[in-house]
Amino acid sequence: MIPMASLEVLMLVGVGSPAALLALLGSASLVNRPLPERWTGRLAAGAMAISCAAFCAALLVYATIRMEAMVLYDAWSTSHPGGIAIEFLLDGMSLGFAALSAAIAGIVSAFSNRYLHREPGYNRYFFLLSMFVTGLLLVALAGNVEVLFAGWEFVGLSSALLVGFFHERPAPVSNALRVFSVYRISDAAMLSAAVLLHHVAGSGSLSLLFGGATFSSAAGPTGTDATMIAVLLVVAVAGKSALLPFSGWLPRAMEGPTPSSAVYYGSLSIHAGCFLLLRAAPLLEQSTPARLLTGGIGVATALYSTLTTRVQSDVKSSLAYAALTQVGIIVVEIALGLYTIAFLHLAGHACFRLLQFLSAPNVLHDLHGLEAAVGERLAPGGGYLEARVPEGVRRQLFLFALERGFVDAVLDRLFVDPFFWLTRQMSRLDRFLCDVVIRRAPSILVEAAEDRDD
Amino acid sequence: MIDARYWLAGVLALPALVAGASLLRVDVERLRRLAVVSAIVMLLASLAVAVAPDLRAVSIRTSILSGARGGEALVRIDALSSALLPFAAGLWLLTVAVTPRAALDRAGLRRTALATLATLASFLTESAVVLLLLWIASVWTFLSALSDPAHRHQRRVVATYLGASTVLFGAGVALLVWPMAQGTRLEIVGMWLIVVAALVRMGIFPFHAWVPEVFDHGRLGPAILFSAPQLGAYVTVVLIVPRASPDVLRVVAILALCTAVYGAALALVQTSARRACGYLFVSQSALVTAGLDCTSVSALAGGLLLWLSAGTAFAGLARCVLVLEARRGRLDLSTHHGGYERMPVLAISFLSMGLACTGFPGTLGFAGQELLVDGAVDVFPVLGFAVVLASALTGLAVLRMYFALFCGRRDALADSGIHLGLARREAWTFALLVMVLVGLGLAPRPVVDSRFTASEEILRLRQARLVTSLESPSAPSSRVRAPGE
Repeated sequence: MIPMASLEVLMLVGVGSPAALLALLGSASLVNRPLPERWTGRLAAGAMAISCAAFCAALLVYATIRMEAMVLYDAWSTSHPGGIAIEFLLDGMSLGFAALSAAIAGIVSAFSNRYLHREPGYNRYFFLLSMFVTGLLLVALAGNVEVLFAGWEFVGLSSALLVGFFHERPAPVSNALRVFSVYRISDAAMLSAAVLLHHVAGSGSLSLLFGGATFSSAAGPTGTDATMIAVLLVVAVAGKSALLPFSGWLPRAMEGPTPSSAVYYGSLSIHAGCFLLLRAAPLLEQSTPARLLTGGIGVATALYSTLTTRVQSDVKSSLAYAALTQVGIIVVEIALGLYTIAFLHLAGHACFRLLQFLSAPNVLHDLHGLEAAVGERLAPGGGYLEARVPEGVRRQLFLFALERGFVDAVLDRLFVDPFFWLTRQMSRLDRFLCDVVIRRAPSILVEAAEDRDD
Repeated sequence: MIDARYWLAGVLALPALVAGASLLRVDVERLRRLAVVSAIVMLLASLAVAVAPDLRAVSIRTSILSGARGGEALVRIDALSSALLPFAAGLWLLTVAVTPRAALDRAGLRRTALATLATLASFLTESAVVLLLLWIASVWTFLSALSDPAHRHQRRVVATYLGASTVLFGAGVALLVWPMAQGTRLEIVGMWLIVVAALVRMGIFPFHAWVPEVFDHGRLGPAILFSAPQLGAYVTVVLIVPRASPDVLRVVAILALCTAVYGAALALVQTSARRACGYLFVSQSALVTAGLDCTSVSALAGGLLLWLSAGTAFAGLARCVLVLEARRGRLDLSTHHGGYERMPVLAISFLSMGLACTGFPGTLGFAGQELLVDGAVDVFPVLGFAVVLASALTGLAVLRMYFALFCGRRDALADSGIHLGLARREAWTFALLVMVLVGLGLAPRPVVDSRFTASEEILRLRQARLVTSLESPSAPSSRVRAPGE
């Protein structure tokens, strides 16, 4: 009992710490009394350190007791049946990912404290970072679909607002909106999966999806239901992790500050989808079509991004696509059932890519330093794949990669443009109908209106 | 112990006091201060119902205006109205606190007070005849705010659509209360007339076209004050849900679900901020209507909760647009305006309230949205997912508006010394509103419990009427069927 209770306390401290920072910074901004930069930096560092320490301690406790725990607050929204409960599922994978997330967030927080020194949006940045960390921890520890969805939304909104961080320029803002539009598709798919799970299983407990030690007495989804839920989850993951066909938003997201690009698109946010797929692996195993879809998307994404990363002209976009290549491979590993390898791959890749992103602003400086030490220009490396591809094919692939697979253009042509055309026609029709109704209205009503003008 | 009658009389007297004071030669700003203080007092007094259940003892029943067995309540406070009273008070406070100085006059404050009085009185009654009179009063108050010749087009739209809905409502009420029509097909016709009247008022497809038109042209403030309380939703809950057959409710719910998606999609493509607000209202009120017409406890509770959260959040969002317009003129969403650095509280409030409209986690709308989605999918396994789609599109529309209105450009007047930030009362009002939406979102239990209780009461009343109608020898066989038949 005592270790279980301590596990719950540590979890609450771990999640509550960035949440408290979020509340504090948000309240201060709302009353137009933003904290001084020094205070914000210290509070952020402290909150992330506490969170990291709490989850590391929780991992140690879990390693000792080797027992999963479900923390349930079932009367959070209402005492009536059918309300929303708050559930957390504490096991090795969730605590491990939470500890990794808290550690990476702490590193990025410390880096950002210096990187964004005297930046006008300093407080805003840390507010959004704390929102992201809170959301990601909710995703990691979610025991039911409502908590998962809440975390998912926090991650998405903070990501979009950080893409538009330099909001005095139009390009970051436009790109942020584009990123958010893909996230909304992902959120809609996630919510649909959650609702379907409720509808099918009568419960929103994620133990129905995650299998293992079952904390719910309800039967998990099977057959067509499992396929539908799994496919919706795959769509949600594809949107959040920039898998095909949603990869177009990834280079746009590089508009944000480098530390946010590191934590979102290098290490954590882009892997959140993979983590969710890992958790939902038992559900995937019940649905061969969903598994094939997952594997196919993973392969296509890996091939696509390994081509695209080679032609990028800026280091952050190149790193983003390189990260996406690995994410595609992780997704393939999950589809093949290699869960342990996938988790280790995820954790190692997140740390490695974080380092690369944080070093990105210095890459030219580091290169010049290296060349100065060596005493000559260094020959460009790589090119192994290019050397094996015929010239004609290489040109076609170069064009394909340069245009980023025409993904955005295809999606715009197929979905965005028709949507805007249709809705604009509907808007015109509304105006026309209103005019017709007014002109044809019984005269008594029109006269009653016009009498008041006299 | 407070005598409930005196308490209620005091609450209703506050807007009457402001309306009366507006007839005196009082400075406009002083009158506004009186209105703000009165609204705060009303808000606190109406919240007292939550802590003093004795106040729900108020009930005046009569059978003069209706042929219903046991009469009907002219005045009553139940689980439904106990949350609607502070809602109406909050809307009044929001209106009088943030109305721009240039748009403020004695007549406007008087109309606002009278409109609030009509709304409050509506939320206290379940009599069809009294509701009709108050409906007429609210439409008249709205029309009187558009007396300026410059608002001729808006007046014509309001007079046509809302005039027609008033006529339909009146005819429907007449058939509903006419003793000769009881238990006959005329009563069903009367019910349908009331349904159509409510659909027009709520802006449900195909009767929605007036809403964006009214928001786009003329005075935005009166349009917000008229729309936000969603009197049509109240008529739906009090008159339609207890009486209508499952088929009627089904048709209305389907129309509402389609309208929710339609409104959100069109809000996304508007170039006028006002018109976008109009379509957002169409979408939000459609979601409320969909919840109210799904006869499951959770969907109805979700609809009742969304009524409060979306009504409050939408009113705040639209007021932000009004405040911004007062400083910049008409707002075009096809270009970026910038200016976040000079009005961060307004920007944060706008975004927060917009996200509350979408049911973002951490806001009061989240609980309502979750309940509504679950309930809607239970009743409509495929179409119920329209709520998800509407929410996604609304979020996108809100963020698009936020980026267009506050970002994308460096404020050209940032160093000019010209002060365009919020006045203290505006800043505090918006900040408090956001805190309420977020605070209740993090601790929603009292509000959600009260909506569940109201939902169960409404469905119990529906069940009781069903039993009564089945026992009546003159009941047409298709009037009301038992749930599940």
